[in-house]
Amino acid sequence: MKPTTLEAVTELLATKFDVPREKVQPQAELQSLGLDSLSLMEFVFAIEDHFSLRIPEDRLDPRQAQLTVADLCRALEECQASAAGLATAA
Amino acid sequence: MNTRHACITGCGVVSPLGLGLDAFDEALFGGQSAVRAEELQLPGAAPTRVPLARCAFDEGQVQAPSKVPLDRGSAMALAAAAAATRQAAWEPGVTDPERVGIFWGSGMGGAASFDATCRGLYAEARRIRPTSVVTAMPNAPLAELALRYGARGSALGYACACASAAVAIGEALRALRDGRLDLAIVGGSDALLSPGVIGAWQAMRVLAPVNGPADGDGRLACRPFAADRAGFALGEGAAALVLETEAHARARGAIWNVQLSGYASNCDGMHITQPDPSGQARAMHAALRDAGLTPGDIGHVNAHGTATAAGDAAEAESLRRVFGSAPPAVTATKSAVGHLLGAGGAVEFVATLRALHRRMVPPTAHAAALDAGFEIDLVRGSARVLPRLNHALSNSFAFGGTNAVLVASRVD
Repeated sequence: MKPTTLEAVTELLATKFDVPREKVQPQAELQSLGLDSLSLMEFVFAIEDHFSLRIPEDRLDPRQAQLTVADLCRALEECQASAAGLATAA
Repeated sequence: MNTRHACITGCGVVSPLGLGLDAFDEALFGGQSAVRAEELQLPGAAPTRVPLARCAFDEGQVQAPSKVPLDRGSAMALAAAAAATRQAAWEPGVTDPERVGIFWGSGMGGAASFDATCRGLYAEARRIRPTSVVTAMPNAPLAELALRYGARGSALGYACACASAAVAIGEALRALRDGRLDLAIVGGSDALLSPGVIGAWQAMRVLAPVNGPADGDGRLACRPFAADRAGFALGEGAAALVLETEAHARARGAIWNVQLSGYASNCDGMHITQPDPSGQARAMHAALRDAGLTPGDIGHVNAHGTATAAGDAAEAESLRRVFGSAPPAVTATKSAVGHLLGAGGAVEFVATLRALHRRMVPPTAHAAALDAGFEIDLVRGSARVLPRLNHALSNSFAFGGTNAVLVASRVD
């Protein structure tokens, strides 16, 4: 997990979803951040828009129990890598 | 024992004539119009000019109590209610939450937000956001208001087209009279100036054309009761009032100088768009009875006055039937702010309250020749002072046939 990914996630959660920065730790579960299910979905939309990508639903469902901030960051990085791979192939 | 009337202890407005009561007042009584011509470009159609009245309002400055993205209309509702509660010096906690209600009107709810969602989906293959439903649902503004003010008594929405807000205000009066609530935040909002919605009204041929020099680049496009009237301008906005039982207002030391004295609503039950003068006259008579007043007590009527050929003819006739040879001073606010659809009844009721407060009737914002067939006393040119003005009516007549009439009075 790159520090820049975590920073972007933290920034968005803090500025748009009123989540205190100190709560956004890699091992923190997404469901522990105080967002209801609708807000969690909005957050995932927003972070996908930020990175201009979409996480396939079979790769990560944000409502899944025990999913952590680190899991989300890794999914984002994988999608970035595969998008970069596609771009190179093209 | 509750009194028949409700005390109006606060009011707030977000209107094309200005944000806030002072700006609204100054422009309204100064005879200004906020209507401007804009180009509407729809796919598959030639560009056309339409008359619109926009608010200089930034919804990004409004925090959603729900944290859900706000429809522009919901943001206006929150801003208007914030101004109204501030003027009333009321905040949540002052009143038992189970005795607080929200009564709100909207004609098409979040149709503009949904138009944007559909445009994104069909034209740009964009995803539908998970919050699309709760942003665009017709009760979104009142749900946000209930969250903001912790209202647990009731939160009711009224969708009766152009009578929505007037019905909401009137139904709140009934709830207060019945002893079900002590205080209600009431009004209406609509912000529908998106291409799909404007196009829908344009397709109905009810928007005034804005091609002639007589239109003043749109400012004079909406000419209620004129011989050459040709339709209305679409506006956007919101207005909110704080209504209280007199016992509750007195107990908390509130100050008020106007009251909601009566209300009636009925339905023509005749036609989906054509208004019926007899239904309108019945509604005015019923509202007067409800207030314990007679036509002779009414010094001023804020007309529905849409400036459509059929609408104004019906209203002029119903006013003649109710007031006969002694017509009160009539004004038509839509010439200045446009047609605010579901919010119109609330913004026009605020205009009525300002007229009572100042004992002065704001002018209708055009100078065209009146229809010779109408026996009404339309105030134009400049505001008219009425030193003995004590009671006024505000009319709202809707597509679908719903008629709603509010009666307001000075408290001296």
